[in-house]
Amino acid sequence: MLNEILSALVAVATLQNLLIMIAGIWGGVIVGAIPGMTGTMAVTLALPFTFYMEPVPSILLLVALYKGSTYGGSVSAILIKTPGTASAACTALDGYPLAQQGKAGKALNMALYSSVIGDFISNLSLIFFAAPLAVLALRIGPPEFFMLMLFALTTVAGVSGSSLLLGLVSAALGLLLATVGEDMYGSFRFAFTPDMQAGLSIAPVLIGLFALPELIKLVVMRVAKKEEAATLGAQQVTREEFMGSLKAILKGSVIGSVLGAIPGIGPSSAAFFSYGEAQRSSKRGANFGKGELEGIAASESANNGACGATMIPLLALGVPGDVITGVMLGAFMIQGLTPGPLLFQTNIHEVYMLLIGMLVSSVLLFFAGKVTMRMFSKVSHIPQTLLTPLVLLLCIFGIYSIASSTFDVAVLLIMGVVGFGMFLLNIPAAPFLIAFILGPMLEENLRRALAISRGDISVLLSSPITWIFAVLILFVLTLTVRREIQKTKTERRLAQ
Amino acid sequence: MPKPVLRGLIIVAFFALSAFVLVPVYVPRPAFIPGFAPPPDMWPRTVSLAGILLGALVLIFAFTREQPAEEPVETDGSSPARMSARFAGLMLAFVLFLVAIPLLGFLVSSVLLTLCIVLMTGERGHHIWVALLAFGGPILLQMFFHSALGTQFPKGVLTKPFGF
Repeated sequence: MLNEILSALVAVATLQNLLIMIAGIWGGVIVGAIPGMTGTMAVTLALPFTFYMEPVPSILLLVALYKGSTYGGSVSAILIKTPGTASAACTALDGYPLAQQGKAGKALNMALYSSVIGDFISNLSLIFFAAPLAVLALRIGPPEFFMLMLFALTTVAGVSGSSLLLGLVSAALGLLLATVGEDMYGSFRFAFTPDMQAGLSIAPVLIGLFALPELIKLVVMRVAKKEEAATLGAQQVTREEFMGSLKAILKGSVIGSVLGAIPGIGPSSAAFFSYGEAQRSSKRGANFGKGELEGIAASESANNGACGATMIPLLALGVPGDVITGVMLGAFMIQGLTPGPLLFQTNIHEVYMLLIGMLVSSVLLFFAGKVTMRMFSKVSHIPQTLLTPLVLLLCIFGIYSIASSTFDVAVLLIMGVVGFGMFLLNIPAAPFLIAFILGPMLEENLRRALAISRGDISVLLSSPITWIFAVLILFVLTLTVRREIQKTKTERRLAQ
Repeated sequence: MPKPVLRGLIIVAFFALSAFVLVPVYVPRPAFIPGFAPPPDMWPRTVSLAGILLGALVLIFAFTREQPAEEPVETDGSSPARMSARFAGLMLAFVLFLVAIPLLGFLVSSVLLTLCIVLMTGERGHHIWVALLAFGGPILLQMFFHSALGTQFPKGVLTKPFGF
């Protein structure tokens, strides 16, 4: 085994492979930082170029793009409150307030450190736990999946905003919007126009909900923030701040690695889950959402932590964990490699090369992040009255370019108005988004579970795993309600 | 009307509209559903009914419980009527942008929308930057997405002879 690892190390450590990984990571960071351009888009666009490459470098390029774009989403989330990717939505909750306080550099540095650590731990988990975790994930059936996602949704609803009730309302709105389009048996639901038959894409809903309300607020309320973010050089994360967030980083990395290994969960859910857990367990939990470094650490370590882990079911079972690994599955097959248990027997050299390359790419992510951070920090010096229309332009062109659809642009604008309305009514946007992403999977697993059990609803509590999740849901609900009651009492006492 | 009450009413009204009007009309049931598979309207109906319940709870708490202090919305001090007019103007700009795309093309419509939005934000200085943003921004973005992704942006019926 050691010989195999050493020979794989030598094979990876070529100038060509390093350059490919650097290009992939850097390109990914830039793509991820542009609102409307997603990691999926970057990986899909790079796929044709891999036809002319060797198997391992081609997969390394795609993995590097994936990792880079996942981190890159945090750059725009922090600087302009526009998460470049869905998984960075949580980062915006604390990153943007920090940028407004003149601590953009601190937020970006914390995001980078957390991402690199999360990514590294995730790669280690991929190396050591690929097969056992994948086998465990395979045992999860529709009822367990439904309860797992319901648990994730309850957690997000509980931690976003000031009220659990409003968080749940927001999640219900997201679930309802996710039903638009063709269902699993071919019926068209809420298809008011022919364009709606295909359903609503995630990108316009995500960008519209998070980026456009800022523009509408600026136009309607005209409260342009005059302060600019301080220079990055003076905003290094101190040792105390880093150590104070280390627990959240490590916990987030583990959450990302475990959730990323379960097919269908992906970096977005991992980030939300980790953020909620960090807020629940942190001494500074009340400060989350107002500019807390620990919040960024939890979110970023989890979303990058999920990146490597999504490769676990792909490599061990041939099951893609999300859209990006689905594209990668295609890349493997084009290169003549078939992911699954046999891959570890027939192509063990390539597997080791890939695993070592992924570890190296974690280090490269650090340097690429530093360089890109300085480049994008210039954004914070642009007046808001110019920057916000520029963001709108980026969003409109980016969204149109995904599917060449004017309908998607209309969805973007409408979701902006919806987001503004939610802001006025104090309804948090995060549960809406995560419910919109998880909604189709949640419904599909519920319907499958009911179909298998011949309509018996008790199937949702038929196994120990479903019971564990049910108890966890009750636990989260109780904790959140208790926290809200305590908060109300404290406010009343302070008022008196 | 106090904000919590208004919020509860809006939530109940929206989900009631969905459960009792939109789902029955816009979620057709297929003639044949295989085995014990739940029908397509099961999930949206369940979510809508849950939404009504949640909205009712919001409404009940608005009347019975002391509401936690909500952070006031920061404004420039304009009257609500003025702010409503600004909002209506922005909505009109969005609608006109979508209507203008088939007529003027994506590029020209984007230039006009950007100019309109910059003016609506109250920006009256930085003339060169505004011009660069409104004209240079859309042109550069169109060139980038066209060359990098091969995106074909729609040309307008009226501006097609000029190449836009």
